[in-house]
Amino acid sequence: MKARTVGIRILNSLIPVLLAFVVGGVVIASIGENPVETYWILISKSLLTPKGFLTTLHYAAPLILTGLAIAVNFKAGIYNMGVEGSVLLGGFFAGIAGAYLPATLDPTMLKLLCLLVGIVCGMLYVVVPALLKAYFHVDEMVVTLMLNYALAKVLEFLSTGVFRDQGAGYVCTPTISDGAMFQRISSAKLTPFFFISLAAFVVMFFVMNHSKLGFEITAMGKNVEFADAMGMRVRRKIIVLMLISGALAGLAGAGYMLSDQYHYTLSFSGDPGLGWDGMLIALLGNHSPVGILIAAIFYAALKTGADNINLYSSVPKEIVTVIQGLIILFLAVKLLDERFGLRDRARKRISRRHSAAQTSAGVVSDNNAGEA
Amino acid sequence: MGNVIETVGLTKMFGDFVANDHIDLAVRENEIKCIVGENGAGKSTLMNMLYGMLQPTSGKIILRGEETHFKSPADAISHGLGMVHQHFKLVPSLTVYENVLLGAEILRKGTCLIDTQEEIKAVSDLIEKYKFDLDACAKVEDISVGSRQCVEILKMLYRNVDVLIMDEPTAVLTPQEVDKLFDNLRELQRQGKTIIVITHKLREVMELSDSVTVIKHGKVVGSIATKDTSQEQLAQMMVGREVVLTVHNDVTTSPSKNVCFSVKNLSTINEYGKEVLHDVSFDVHEGEVLGIAGVEGNGQTELVKVLTGLMTTTSGSVTLDGKDITNQWPDSLRSEGIAIIPEDRFEDGLCSTMSVADNCIAGHHGDPTVCKHGLLNRKAILARRDALLSKYDIRVGDIDGAVGALSGGNAQKVIIARELESSPKFLIACQPTRGVDIGATESIHEEILRFRNNGNAVLLISSELTEILGLSDRIIVMCKGQITGEVSPRDTTSTELGLLMAGIKQGEGEKVEG
Repeated sequence: MKARTVGIRILNSLIPVLLAFVVGGVVIASIGENPVETYWILISKSLLTPKGFLTTLHYAAPLILTGLAIAVNFKAGIYNMGVEGSVLLGGFFAGIAGAYLPATLDPTMLKLLCLLVGIVCGMLYVVVPALLKAYFHVDEMVVTLMLNYALAKVLEFLSTGVFRDQGAGYVCTPTISDGAMFQRISSAKLTPFFFISLAAFVVMFFVMNHSKLGFEITAMGKNVEFADAMGMRVRRKIIVLMLISGALAGLAGAGYMLSDQYHYTLSFSGDPGLGWDGMLIALLGNHSPVGILIAAIFYAALKTGADNINLYSSVPKEIVTVIQGLIILFLAVKLLDERFGLRDRARKRISRRHSAAQTSAGVVSDNNAGEA
Repeated sequence: MGNVIETVGLTKMFGDFVANDHIDLAVRENEIKCIVGENGAGKSTLMNMLYGMLQPTSGKIILRGEETHFKSPADAISHGLGMVHQHFKLVPSLTVYENVLLGAEILRKGTCLIDTQEEIKAVSDLIEKYKFDLDACAKVEDISVGSRQCVEILKMLYRNVDVLIMDEPTAVLTPQEVDKLFDNLRELQRQGKTIIVITHKLREVMELSDSVTVIKHGKVVGSIATKDTSQEQLAQMMVGREVVLTVHNDVTTSPSKNVCFSVKNLSTINEYGKEVLHDVSFDVHEGEVLGIAGVEGNGQTELVKVLTGLMTTTSGSVTLDGKDITNQWPDSLRSEGIAIIPEDRFEDGLCSTMSVADNCIAGHHGDPTVCKHGLLNRKAILARRDALLSKYDIRVGDIDGAVGALSGGNAQKVIIARELESSPKFLIACQPTRGVDIGATESIHEEILRFRNNGNAVLLISSELTEILGLSDRIIVMCKGQITGEVSPRDTTSTELGLLMAGIKQGEGEKVEG
């Protein structure tokens, strides 16, 4: 019974992905390319070669963190859309710390300080929405979503003015000092930051699956009145969980800064942004930590694969964006199904028609037979 | 008089489970028919098939001599068959007439505008015709539960329904509203309607119906004219064994003089700023069950919320064993030794989509036996669940399944097991047997009395007068947020208590003052 439900859950996450690839394949075929070949390049270059796989892991590092940051809130029924903002704020100030802190500091110390700055900034970002949600029942989804735009403008102001690197030909903050940079482990892009991310994953795995707090997260997500009546102090938990989410997202931003970007540009987090990617990953991974780990690596593989498609085939790399979009679309269908029971309705309708056809076939024998 | 509805060999299967097994039912023209059975006996399935919500697996439904298949409730209504559900389907912010005419609005001739005057007139005429006590222009959110039920009935009457199915109509009503409902139903009968009532309250069957059909495990046990039977006989038919309806409460030892739980001058306001509790004071002694009787909506729910930490007071104090516990969080109250059986089982007591095991530890999930250093011990949790299930005789189909799959009685037993197993000193039990079958009711009553006999205190809030009278050592009555009287269960009758609850007669004993 248990194994079966787990199987169904895995299938539920796989179906949107497979459908996206099928429809993506149609798109590839329609521009006159071979979809199987393209997908083979996508998968083999990013997962099956050592270098490609390590690069994939490198890209997965911040995505694991943002995926967890989303899941730890969504699972408790808190719709924190501010993960992207926490990533940006954490990344920005980690970069500022890396650039302005004395370069003579011990490199390990410097990196830790930068990460810490990122975590604190990520947490600070969600304090206001968390307090509003907990004490004034203000919808956190609206507040966090809007705050992202305000923050983007603030950071644009800071990076074009106060913290602008005057030597650069485009808008960016000064590059962080060498001591603050995570060094590559091999020729691939992988840095020690991946292992920090992995450590955070292990901690969150135990928190979400085996801890008292994890139990409370599940209870809050499923029935918040019940959680309150059972003495889980929901208000306080909302604040704690949003702070945890902010910390994870801030760490993601700081780590991405120290291991990949090295300075803040206006396209720091990419398009659609690490926080939004994290949302997709959390949904794909069904809010379970292991699912998120797998989904993050898969999603990072798409990112790595996009570059390789450009190199090794004549399919434009935007095909990966198309596939990502399709995954979101099919995931949305899945969410609608969970919310409104589309599948049950369809099944009911079919079975009703079936039984109607059967009874009338017995009595009248012709009318509805064609319908069955 | 012929039969309006007849079913022949009506069967409904859900997978392998036979919910209705060859039901033969006959409802005569213009009678009030009661269908009784324990929870899960298949009453609702039967009615849902008659009403077109479910399609029978096999068997026939015969309406006025013609075999019919209802494809949907709308189809059933157009054939003159209407149903009033246990949970109302009304729009609170709309008026009575708007609710009645929802989906059947009267338009001004040749336009698409609603003719409000005509609508009000139509509904008012209807109210007058059937002698309901209702204002067509009142907003549904402002009227009592009993009146809302009338609106539901009107909805059906407006659509020219002449067979009315009522699903557990008295479950949400106060004793006075029940009487009114019965008057209304009898009036409908006089005007030629046929009424089918689903219930498991035998007193009401005897009072209201012309004939009874008893269903057990999806089969008809018997159909009988009401005047030829008795409550005891029906009860025996329902459960298939001798059930004594009165509660066993033989212990006559007087409770000790030690006050366990004490409430002094408690007042509070609700979220709209209305005072819902006014100067409430009472003591519960060790070894005593204190019953709170009262028509629902007179402050009991708020009182429980305050006592369980879900609402705060504006003034007054609460003490347990002499220790002040006013306005504490629910978790601190639990650790002080208060156990809670909440009014709404699946809202505050259980999480229906979580497993039985998770529900068995909720609220105590921080106990050192199941949780060390913030990490839960799965093995210990499962062991605790198994111990509770066997000790309290809780029957579950799928032991790893969700608690929502359990029957009402078994779900309630999960709550009781969880609450009593933490060895509390004081139990707050709200409607502990609401919607629970007779077998489980008995065992829940036994648990409550056993808990009391061990020298603990119990506060019992129930709208079942027999329960209050049978279990309590002392009864206080609440009306409009105040305590209006105290009576002894041995010297009072349910009629007396009912009047007191309605605020009609002041208590014969002295009024309890803070």
